[in-house]
Amino acid sequence: MEKTDAIVTSASATKQNRQPFQMRLRTREAIAAYIFLAPFIIFFSIFVVRAVLSAVNISFYDWQILRPSRPYVGFANYQELFNDYVWWIAVRNTIIFTAMTVTGTTIIALTAAVAVTQNIPGAGFFRVLLYMPTLLSVGVVGLTWVWMLSTQFGIINYGLSFLGIRPVNWLGDENLVLPALSLTTIWWGFGFPMLIFIAGLQGIPEHLYEAAKIDGANGRQLFFHITLPLLRPSILFVTVTGVISHFQVFGQPFIMTSGGPGRGSFTVIFYLYDIAWRAFRMGYGSAVAVALAIIMGIFTLIQFRIVGRRVDY
Amino acid sequence: MKFNLLKHTGTYTYLIILSIFVLFPLVFSFSQSLMTNQEVNRWPPPIIPPSPILTNYETVLSQPDLKLVLWLRNSLFAAAAYTTAVLLICAPAAYAFARLKFPGNNILFGLLLLTVMLPSQVTLIPNFLLMRDLKFLDTFHALIWPGAANVFAVFLLRQFFMQIPQELEEAAILDGASYFGRFRHVILPLSTNALTAMGIFVFLGHYNDLLWPFITTSSLEMRTLPVGLQILNSSYAGQYRPLVLAGAVFATVPIIIVYIIFQRRIIKGVVMTGMGGR
Repeated sequence: MEKTDAIVTSASATKQNRQPFQMRLRTREAIAAYIFLAPFIIFFSIFVVRAVLSAVNISFYDWQILRPSRPYVGFANYQELFNDYVWWIAVRNTIIFTAMTVTGTTIIALTAAVAVTQNIPGAGFFRVLLYMPTLLSVGVVGLTWVWMLSTQFGIINYGLSFLGIRPVNWLGDENLVLPALSLTTIWWGFGFPMLIFIAGLQGIPEHLYEAAKIDGANGRQLFFHITLPLLRPSILFVTVTGVISHFQVFGQPFIMTSGGPGRGSFTVIFYLYDIAWRAFRMGYGSAVAVALAIIMGIFTLIQFRIVGRRVDY
Repeated sequence: MKFNLLKHTGTYTYLIILSIFVLFPLVFSFSQSLMTNQEVNRWPPPIIPPSPILTNYETVLSQPDLKLVLWLRNSLFAAAAYTTAVLLICAPAAYAFARLKFPGNNILFGLLLLTVMLPSQVTLIPNFLLMRDLKFLDTFHALIWPGAANVFAVFLLRQFFMQIPQELEEAAILDGASYFGRFRHVILPLSTNALTAMGIFVFLGHYNDLLWPFITTSSLEMRTLPVGLQILNSSYAGQYRPLVLAGAVFATVPIIIVYIIFQRRIIKGVVMTGMGGR
């Protein structure tokens, strides 16, 4: 009797002991996690969370860097922005540029990826070569292409002269400047999406192609009925990240055209730069930044609705 | 192995056209950087230099208002320091998200997901004002710290860490390894490829940035290469084009050399990262 009691007590004792021990283990794990996270949380709080909240806050003030008084103005900055035709020109330009660049980049990247994943000699060499421009700085890209696109001495116009086309003022014509900047950007940036597509193509099981070939499918059918549908996740990734990054275009117009001719290549980030660092209007500039965030959020959601349906196969 | 060239004619034609598209601007710039101003301003545009000269390089590197070597050094140093900071700050955080249980896990991760949707320019003005208040403007601090909490890096590394088999860590636990020991001696050695890929990405992103260094630096000695090339272009393009082209080639050569040496690793790393992003 006494013995059983002892056993019961000892059993309950271990039970009681185990609970705090496990709890201690869990606390220790949580403490370790927070120590691992601490540096990140500190930087993230200061430079991201605080900064975003501060941008929203500043956008409600008439905050000019050179003036000591900063009156609260409510939504006045947003009202001004909504009625500012220069802002709408910048939005329009940016949307046109982004649409052309993302479309062109995706098509070239996808076709290039299909070409370099064929089982042919030299495929690896082409892969390395085609990725190269992506590594260049926007400064180099801008300087190189400004000269290529020159009206008077540009090699592109020289090439076109063989087709009987008279010299084109690429960067000086309001209707041509965005396509010209877009071409430059496609040249610069198609390497990265190409590698994304290569990764995607390598993930498509070979037996799907074998089966389709047995059923008598030709190359085009294979591409449209197997490759394209199965690449959907990669296409989603490339277009979403492409829209996000090209919508923030700044360097190409800044270096190549200074936003011109007129406001022909004035983009949203260029406008933000202009307001905040040339006019020193931080309040209005913050309203621009917040508006940009809202526009991009809407774009991303729309894209996920369109391309994102049934991403898993 | 039989190889049917005819079957692949289309593929090769396409690849060669693409290669010319990619290479021509670079070759053309290099070639014209070896010419005089008169030779460059000629129709038809000369592609092969009649008598190659190196004076443009001598001039562009010795011009007192251009400091290309210093700008290159600034860019490389800032990008390297930034990459180190990102890896030191983000890798432990990614480990905590991937493997450790702690209260607030979901809330914190949700917050990260939310901010990744925001364009980074939203933080531009507040961070600029903060740099000004901290007297960090025109110093390397401004180029290194503000982007150090790189959410993208945390996501990708977390993804990689989650793929490492749990059993490997359990063996280390039996050996009495601490959390730090497991991270340092099990996780990190198994993630060198992921860390390299991440590092290349982060480095290049920083190296190519234009707007942030443009607004936070002001002295000629603190400019980075992209900003410097803009200065070179705006002050010399009108009067002496080959000088600008020589500057562009000078800025390109180090990157191409690094790329040729590490090409396999870079391509593999990027493809791997692309898979992580799928």
